[in-house]
Amino acid sequence: MTISHGILLLGAVFAHGAWAQTPDAVRRERTEFAEWLATSAVSPWRAIVVRPIGPGLSLGPASADIPLAGIAAGRIGERGGRIVLSTGEREIGFSRGRVQTVEGWPLIVNGPPGRATLTVFGREPVRRKTVSHYPYDPKLVFVVTLRPAATAGTQALLTPDGVEAVASNAGTVQVSLGGPARTLQVKRLPGATADESELEIYFRDGTAGKGSYPAGRFVSLLPRADGSYILDFNRARNPFCAYNTVYPCPAPWSGNNLPVAVQAGERYEGGGLEVKLP
Amino acid sequence: MNTISVAVALAASLLAASAPRQAPLDGTWRAVLDLAGGALPFELAVSRQNNRLVAAICNGPKCADHAVVTQRGDSVVFDIADYAATIVAERRGDSLTGTYRNVGRNGPRSIPFRASAGRWPRAVPPAALLGSWDAWYLTDQRRSPRVIQLTAGSGGLEGAVTSNTGDLGVFWGGGTVDSFSVARFDGVSVYILAGRLSGDTLRGVFHAGLRTQTRFVAVRSTGAPHLTAPTELTSADTVNPFRFAFRDLEGRLVSQDDPRLKGKVVLVDIFGSWCVTCHEATPDLLELYATYKPRGFEILGLGYEVTGDSAQDNPQIRRFRDKFAIPWILLHAGASVVEETAASLPQLRGFTAYPTTLFLGRDGRIREIYAGFRGPATGAQHAKQLEDYRRIIEALLTEVP
Repeated sequence: MTISHGILLLGAVFAHGAWAQTPDAVRRERTEFAEWLATSAVSPWRAIVVRPIGPGLSLGPASADIPLAGIAAGRIGERGGRIVLSTGEREIGFSRGRVQTVEGWPLIVNGPPGRATLTVFGREPVRRKTVSHYPYDPKLVFVVTLRPAATAGTQALLTPDGVEAVASNAGTVQVSLGGPARTLQVKRLPGATADESELEIYFRDGTAGKGSYPAGRFVSLLPRADGSYILDFNRARNPFCAYNTVYPCPAPWSGNNLPVAVQAGERYEGGGLEVKLP
Repeated sequence: MNTISVAVALAASLLAASAPRQAPLDGTWRAVLDLAGGALPFELAVSRQNNRLVAAICNGPKCADHAVVTQRGDSVVFDIADYAATIVAERRGDSLTGTYRNVGRNGPRSIPFRASAGRWPRAVPPAALLGSWDAWYLTDQRRSPRVIQLTAGSGGLEGAVTSNTGDLGVFWGGGTVDSFSVARFDGVSVYILAGRLSGDTLRGVFHAGLRTQTRFVAVRSTGAPHLTAPTELTSADTVNPFRFAFRDLEGRLVSQDDPRLKGKVVLVDIFGSWCVTCHEATPDLLELYATYKPRGFEILGLGYEVTGDSAQDNPQIRRFRDKFAIPWILLHAGASVVEETAASLPQLRGFTAYPTTLFLGRDGRIREIYAGFRGPATGAQHAKQLEDYRRIIEALLTEVP
């Protein structure tokens, strides 16, 4: 199924050249993501605070670390890996990555034990200019082979939503973007469940700060049935820090600076780090 | 009723009568989720219950968790409340096309869905592949053990995948002479396991979610242990009595000193209502309860739930209790994160799996620990585990405190 799907996709690419339209699947992904940004209670647009919990944070009154109207004086802290918000009348336990709404304020706790962070979202939806993309370029869709890393290794780094996670070196892929073949580092990041993981490339290219987000963009490897992967730069997306300055920004990955412009995927027109665009 | 409203009602009923009528949705739909690595087949069995349209999600002959179905015009929504997931589809005659969706913290997770009226044909199981296989999942430079079991079931090929902490439930599918593909979708889990035999080695891929693929290699099980024994994953303080204090569903604090537990042999079931394996284990626990309760046996359920907040979690635990008519004590113990559960039970070391089962002697001390649960899909492993449970309980019941 996927092989034929992949071949169909590539067939369409060759048949239509640069004039090919945005494929339905990509259009659908973009529409759904835009809808989520506009409507979700935990949309990055709505985030108002991201803070390390550290030895504990007070919430509520104007004098608190995080003043939140409607919340009686409360304190959020970590005890043996468990995150608990204590207010006068009750204790609320937090499960990492899951939304807890307290007096209308959506809250999420993320991050490893000992280094958990709290994200607070606003009580009302926030409208911003929605995400925009470069025109779909079928020449920037590659079928790649993942070359395993020579040595195993893990490191703590930030995921697209600015959460610390342990990633492993998955290997490298090569792409031809004009000139010599370029090698990109691929890391395996934790997925939505214990059985899942994401193969991600965080890269910067010649458009960084000149149309795309200055710190870089994420793009996932999409597996094909034959063991190879699709690397579709049209699906490159911004880290959450591009949507809202409250998020910490993942540091660029060494080895993933492309000296050429990749004019595909998500654009950046301000709103996160306020950088001047030419 | 005034004249205008009568006229409106009349017009509405005329419109309704003249609209083309869709055949009812009732019956079986053969469905597919289109993952990056291939199509995941399953069935939706739609029926009416108490005037509501509901759908069971079926992997071959095994059906589970009902979705509530609503129709508006050509739009059909399957609401899978247990997992905060939906399938939204457009109906065109005998086909449905749409999207399965649930939401993670990084945005929506959606997988293309399509279905047609009728059942999937039942495939003949590939005889050469049946049996038990010792597998290694290969991820980057690491490998981790699994046991893959392929059996001929009533509806074709059935599969089970067991890790050190238990199995993932029944997989279902078919194969050819030397290859197979079995899948599982239960509303939240999205898995395909596919492989091919070359020589004596089975090689293939385990697909999880939209786009995670893990390669595996497997050889026929020799009988030598391939997985870590469930009794060797988690250890405990066995010197002092097991101590705990959590609230029941009515908010009363219950501890090890509760008269319902004192002097009894107690099976402590560390579970979550969200945990598919825990649902699979409960019928067996009910059977143990019925058999041994008259001789001084008790079960204590410690529920670790999605939020850790009892106001939100207790309705889920009640749902779980009512589904199985659970007669034993159920407590809300905390949030379902391994580190948090471990922190709430400081007498355990190496807590790793839901469910984890503790056996307490009449003196209240922990005597045996089983991490995970090998469900009915695992056949002999399931039978052996229950045999172990019975042997442990019988032995503890004969002890004099």
